[in-house]
Amino acid sequence: MAMHVPRAPGFASMLKEGAKHFSGLDEAVYRNIEACKELAKTTRSAFGPHGQNKMVINHIEKLFVTNDAATILSELEVQHPAAKMLVLATHQQELEVGDGTNFVLVFAGALLEHAEMLLRMGLSVTEVTEGYELAMKKALEILPDLVCENQKDLRERTAVARALKTSVMSKQYGNEDFLAKLIADACVSIMSQKSSFNVDNIRVSKILGAGVLQSSLVQGMVFRRAVEGEVTKMSKCKIAVYSCPLDIMQTETKGTVLIKNAEELMNFSQGEENLVEEQIKSISDTGCTVIVSGGKVGEMAVHFCNKYGILILRLMSKWDLRRLCKAVGATPLPRVTPPTPEEAGYCDNVYIDEVGDTPVIVFKQDKEESSITTIMIRGSTDNIMDDMERAINDGVNTFKALTRDVRMVPGAGATEIELAKQITTIGESTPGLEQYAIKKFAEALEVVPRTIAENAGVKATEVLSLLYAAHQEGKKTVGVDIEAAGAGVRDAQEAGILDLYLAKFWGIKFATTAACTVLKVDQIIMAKMAGGPKGKAPGPQDDDDD
Amino acid sequence: MMQPQIILLKEGTDSSQGVPQIVSNINACGAIADAVRTTLGPRGMDKLIVDNSGKATISNDGATILKTLDIVHPAARTLVDIAKSQDAEVGDGTTSVVLLAGEFLKQAKPYIEEGVHPQVVIRAFRRAAALAVDKVKELAVQIKKSDPEEQKSMLLKCASTSLSSKLVAHQKEFFSKMVVDAVLMLDELLPLNMIGIKKITGGALEDSRLVDGVAFKKTFSYAGFEMQPKSYSDPKIALLNVELELKAEKENAEIRIDNVTEYQKIVDAEWKILYDKLEKIHLSGAKVVLSKLPIGDVATQYFADRDMFCAGRVVEEDLRRTMKACGGSIQTSVGNLKNNVLGTCQKFEEIQVGGDRYNLFTGCPQAKTCTLLLRGGAEQFIEETERSLHDAIMIVRRAMKNDAVVAGGGAIEMELSKYLRDCSRTIAGKEQLLMGAMAKAFEVIPRQLCENAGFDATNILNKLRQSHAQGGRWFGVDILNEDIADNYEAFVWEPSVVKINAITAAAEATCLILSVDETIRNPKSSQEGGGGPPGRGRGRPM
Repeated sequence: MAMHVPRAPGFASMLKEGAKHFSGLDEAVYRNIEACKELAKTTRSAFGPHGQNKMVINHIEKLFVTNDAATILSELEVQHPAAKMLVLATHQQELEVGDGTNFVLVFAGALLEHAEMLLRMGLSVTEVTEGYELAMKKALEILPDLVCENQKDLRERTAVARALKTSVMSKQYGNEDFLAKLIADACVSIMSQKSSFNVDNIRVSKILGAGVLQSSLVQGMVFRRAVEGEVTKMSKCKIAVYSCPLDIMQTETKGTVLIKNAEELMNFSQGEENLVEEQIKSISDTGCTVIVSGGKVGEMAVHFCNKYGILILRLMSKWDLRRLCKAVGATPLPRVTPPTPEEAGYCDNVYIDEVGDTPVIVFKQDKEESSITTIMIRGSTDNIMDDMERAINDGVNTFKALTRDVRMVPGAGATEIELAKQITTIGESTPGLEQYAIKKFAEALEVVPRTIAENAGVKATEVLSLLYAAHQEGKKTVGVDIEAAGAGVRDAQEAGILDLYLAKFWGIKFATTAACTVLKVDQIIMAKMAGGPKGKAPGPQDDDDD
Repeated sequence: MMQPQIILLKEGTDSSQGVPQIVSNINACGAIADAVRTTLGPRGMDKLIVDNSGKATISNDGATILKTLDIVHPAARTLVDIAKSQDAEVGDGTTSVVLLAGEFLKQAKPYIEEGVHPQVVIRAFRRAAALAVDKVKELAVQIKKSDPEEQKSMLLKCASTSLSSKLVAHQKEFFSKMVVDAVLMLDELLPLNMIGIKKITGGALEDSRLVDGVAFKKTFSYAGFEMQPKSYSDPKIALLNVELELKAEKENAEIRIDNVTEYQKIVDAEWKILYDKLEKIHLSGAKVVLSKLPIGDVATQYFADRDMFCAGRVVEEDLRRTMKACGGSIQTSVGNLKNNVLGTCQKFEEIQVGGDRYNLFTGCPQAKTCTLLLRGGAEQFIEETERSLHDAIMIVRRAMKNDAVVAGGGAIEMELSKYLRDCSRTIAGKEQLLMGAMAKAFEVIPRQLCENAGFDATNILNKLRQSHAQGGRWFGVDILNEDIADNYEAFVWEPSVVKINAITAAAEATCLILSVDETIRNPKSSQEGGGGPPGRGRGRPM
């Protein structure tokens, strides 16, 4: 019985009905490039200190006002498979350095744009990608020579503030000096304790009201809660931290209390009362005057805490509890037992304060340094404060990167122009068709100063020619001057515009890799979306190398 | 090559960008500012808002109006936010802040349309705002705190300025005194929740009174309540968190008995537990017993027999305030009723206010709390009175903390406008124009005051500009005489912190709105909710 064997000709007939399939330069490569360019264009106007903000309303109707590329992208839900690759590249950058995400996107977009030109000229995809990869290698080799400053002392506040300024400036232009100082203070104060630096040790607390410039730093922690009991202020106190509820223990298994006779009934509640009192008293006897509980605080417990003059606070979040333990040096106890001297924490001041009309509880250490610092952000709208928080995060991440690598390169497009200049020279001495690709790579680097200038409302071409002229004279640190009335350049190092070496290094690397990956795809196969439960987006990453 | 269209974003994503986007955002904010425009000042009109549940609200408080309006436009929501922020930080001046922001944007609009880069506008505005804030600080007049008389008169003036733009403007002397007295009773932290406001429909506004202690509505009572005395002098007060009723000692407790005598014993024991508690309370010497939890009829009659007063199910907030006023502390058990946990006050009485009976505790030794009993006709009217008094209380609190004042009635705005205009002349470049625009924007406050009062705004503004140019720094709109007057002499005072916060917030919001050139709206996620696309986008941004 001859079963009907289907012919195996076209690709389409091998797939389930409804699957989409594109291949070749026209159908796949150009379309991918187009999509990536489109994406890069979206965030391009957000680049640099004069970048415009975007309002993004995500799928749960939350409003974001930001120019942070990572945030924009993560809220955008990019669907195009090729464009998604760029998103992944920025994500890598975010994880690796925490700053410079927009650089990756804009640069990768520029690389692809130029690649399109080359492809139309007749170069093959391989030649372009090889040229790009070669150029990238060269660029990364040159980069260490461009380092203009080393951040020697990470405990020197003014120097740190200067290093952080550029990163903050791209988010909060106009407030950069204030914020950079705030972040530097915060970073330095938790630095001294131990050598490793943990981003998590800088907390941000947002409180509506007043203005950005009223933001301040608290050595210790700030919670937006109120205390449970009547005691609201305590200084030089020992702190007992419990991860369990402070209440009469409930048995896990359902049980009933069996009362046999009248006597037992009479003594029952009395016994319960005594039990709680004993517990609280024993804690009080150890000298603890503040109790922090991770769970419910029973009324009876509050009553006795009031009686013994103990400040009692309930923290819902396990993370908050853990951080508080770190801040005051306490060990969380899983059962209500009096803490040993080692287990109890210490804090100079614990008090309730009213900021705006939000009651907050502050754990404040008197000394300059503590293991956890909180930056209290004030601002007139939630969006401003959210954006401030992102700026602070970028700043803190910059500091973290500095602890790993202290090298800094000049910002404001100076590094990119210098790289472009040198790579062009290298390109000209390279034999073969890669030469074109290398030169285009150099051209793509120009996108950074060009975008900065464009966003500042200056004629970009004019600025570029000025920059090239200056770099030709050997002034390696000259970058775009965004504050000049017209097209202008200035020495970025002098102006204190410094970028992280690491950010540039990884940025160039990720962008080039992403661009090459996009270029190397010559077929797109999209399976039909499954109708059932949410299927994963079509797997686009099955790239055939050619 | 563009065969099928490239879908970059999820279907249904809406995006708009560029200068038109900025302009449209500005227009949206203008509409919001227009909504509250007419409520500014003593002659401002009120708004009646009916929300989706059919509840009517009458108000001329900017923040209240905007909150009730439920605005969805993303840019316009920013203005709602700053109104809220002003409400949180200062408590009053919410209309001014929205109006200022709206006007800043309006002035910036022509420049944006002409192609000035928004960032240039932003920088100029930030700078101008900083200058303006410094100027307010410089101009503000310090009031000596050391002299209580002087401080009190300053507070009175601030309160009456705040109240003059409210619904209760006619009774402003009456209420400003009440508000200042109330705030002066608080301790140094000035906690707002220690001023209780009770609303009782009926009577006239002037029948409202300030109780230097605590007052709350009579709670639900059981039989026997009538027999209890309703007035004591110097009673001891027990504050409890104990249920004085026959009840199970513990949930899920079970009793197993095997003979009848035991049964009777159990019943007796239950009664005994209750009577023990009651006896302890009685023996402690307390005359007034308040409890958060119910007090049953047995207890009520027991207390009535022993010449004591009791009230169960007292709202926690009221109980706390009673504690603050009378001393003592709230007890969760009756085992430890010593003298130091009992409160006391000079006089306790139950009186009739309107249709309700109220429990009053007056002459309290610590009296860090007070209660305002508001009377008035319609419910909405009392509610608006409450909001107005809240604003005034906040203003007085701020004035206590920061004792610098400036003249209101548009005077400070005119002075700032003049100052900024002078400053702008010294700057070269585009910023000159922009700072001039901001200077012009400040004039919106006096202009709106005039317009709302039905005056010829242009005429009065001209007069104001003239007198400010001649150095009359406190000249503002005189609402009563349709003229200008020295508002500092006329005692139209406002705490400087109100203005500083308003300028800061308005400038911040303006900069935020100007800095946005693109709006991207993702489609609302369907019932699945919460989860973004798998693998990415979930969780908060870094």
